[in-house]
Amino acid sequence: MNMNTKLMKELPELLENKVISQDVADAIEAYYTTQNDAKPNRLFTVFGVLGATLVGLGIILILAHNWDDFSKSIKTVWAFLPLVIGQLIVGYSILKGKSDTWKEASGVFLFFAVGASIALVSQIYNIPGNLSSFLLTWILLCTPLIYLLKSKAVAILHLVFATYYVFEYGYGYGSRTPWYYLLLLAVLAPFYIQLLKHYTTSNMTSIFNWLIPLSITISLGAFVGRGDDEYGFLIYVILFGMFYSIGKIPYFQDQKLRRNGFLVFGSLGTITTVLFTTFRWYWKDLANGTSTHTETIILAGVLFALALLILGYSYAKKWVKEFNLFQYVFIIFAILFFIGMVNISIPVIITNLLIFSLGMITIKIGADQFHFGILNYGLLIVTALVICRFFDANISFVVRGLLFVIVGAGFFLTNYIMLKKQKSNTL
Amino acid sequence: MKTIHIVAIFILVACIQLFVPAKMIYDKEAIIEDGTVYKFKTRPIDPNDPFRGKYITLDYDINAIKTDDTLWQRKDEAYLYIRKDADGFATPVTVSREKQDLDEDYILTEVIWYNSNEREVNLQLPFNRYYMEETKAYDAEVAHRKAQRDSLPDNTYALVYIKNGSAVLSDILIDEVSIKDHVEMQQDKKGEKP
Repeated sequence: MNMNTKLMKELPELLENKVISQDVADAIEAYYTTQNDAKPNRLFTVFGVLGATLVGLGIILILAHNWDDFSKSIKTVWAFLPLVIGQLIVGYSILKGKSDTWKEASGVFLFFAVGASIALVSQIYNIPGNLSSFLLTWILLCTPLIYLLKSKAVAILHLVFATYYVFEYGYGYGSRTPWYYLLLLAVLAPFYIQLLKHYTTSNMTSIFNWLIPLSITISLGAFVGRGDDEYGFLIYVILFGMFYSIGKIPYFQDQKLRRNGFLVFGSLGTITTVLFTTFRWYWKDLANGTSTHTETIILAGVLFALALLILGYSYAKKWVKEFNLFQYVFIIFAILFFIGMVNISIPVIITNLLIFSLGMITIKIGADQFHFGILNYGLLIVTALVICRFFDANISFVVRGLLFVIVGAGFFLTNYIMLKKQKSNTL
Repeated sequence: MKTIHIVAIFILVACIQLFVPAKMIYDKEAIIEDGTVYKFKTRPIDPNDPFRGKYITLDYDINAIKTDDTLWQRKDEAYLYIRKDADGFATPVTVSREKQDLDEDYILTEVIWYNSNEREVNLQLPFNRYYMEETKAYDAEVAHRKAQRDSLPDNTYALVYIKNGSAVLSDILIDEVSIKDHVEMQQDKKGEKP
């Protein structure tokens, strides 16, 4: 029971004591009834989807026992039974215009039934087909369900399994470029755009705001050619720069931080990848210059153009109000990357300065906004940098020791000053 | 979109969802129906697949083929032509990059690696998985290893149907008994002991 029902119960008493008029009471009642209609049994949907997922996975596992006692024909019947049941329920939900709960749950069940079906057929005929091709067939057979049922749960499964596919196909021994991932992502795009347009503040939309950058972050590495690690860092810095710019688009920027996966991924990602390149070994490897696959270079180029395009567009639309170093890191890094091919020291110094500046800027933003989270995030950036330098043997112990003391004192001081200011403000 | 249109598209999707496994079954049944059956000498081990359960991986004696072509690369496609010997075992005739005009059956395989010292190309045969009941997979591996170590030659082999380059692995036999039954007998024996 929540506040609404509590308030509804109090209405007669309020009326009786003439705190509110009959009109107001009616208005309040009408308001909460429509509110309740607008979000129909969301909990049911969640449980329905969870139930369907568990039952579906359970069926797959039971069938994966590879029952020897069943003849081929019985196994064949089993391959189709869950599939047909799933299809009938989905067909019924569509035809009868059933609620979202029905559509989500039946869609999820059908998704797993399709997997169970092709898995069992592979078992009956000993089809080796590696896991990745199995996953791809499965995902593609279920993609239309996303749109036919307008099912967010199936869309999430689509994205999760597409990432799983990349993991199986694009990484590890004998890996190849998982081009199909781009197709799978493109297929999902119209659905995501619809969500952004019509369900801006819905929790489902924020799940996608996190899952999409997460999936892309995991998958991008599979597109980087084998052994092109130095380019890999450049590519990831560009990707995170792009995420940051997307997160800064007013549509996302105006929402709560916990809904803005792009911004968080962009910020944390930029810091982490650039932090790795503050070490000398990265630039040494780059200067030693091994050959790079053309595919990787093209990928870096395309991604850079895309990131630049988003940044330029943000300028044209006057979305960029003040200078924010985070948004330009990928450009600075790209320039450093070319300098790094001939010189080691300059990029090492500049990446260190870059991280330090990013930390300081974040601290300043945190202090200006009186936001302890941002302030300490900035301090953490500086701390991470100092810890990385701890491992550099060619800096004297005294200097390293002093650095630690200064940063540690900084933590106390800044937080203390902020607290004090906050207190004096509230008094 | 009207409901009726969504239903129509869904029926199409449902048909495709039914068609794909049905077509897989049909293709495989066609091979078993009309294909030629071969015996392949094997060596298995047991991993597992998250969705399809336990299986044993088979390594075949004819995985490595002598060849004059020195330019084989990993993941290349290779046509392996085979012939039956007097006992029904498959023996390699030749391996080539393109389909050849030969009377022999062929299998479309994938190159794993080229051994330049031995001048041999190592192939991945498209029937290297045999799904087993989970309680039997490990014992099957052990039984298989034992059977191979004993004195009898050629007592473990895979039974494979082949037609137009595609294959269906139908059974693995140890001493002429299906590996499933063989393992079951072994497990029964073990159960009786104490």
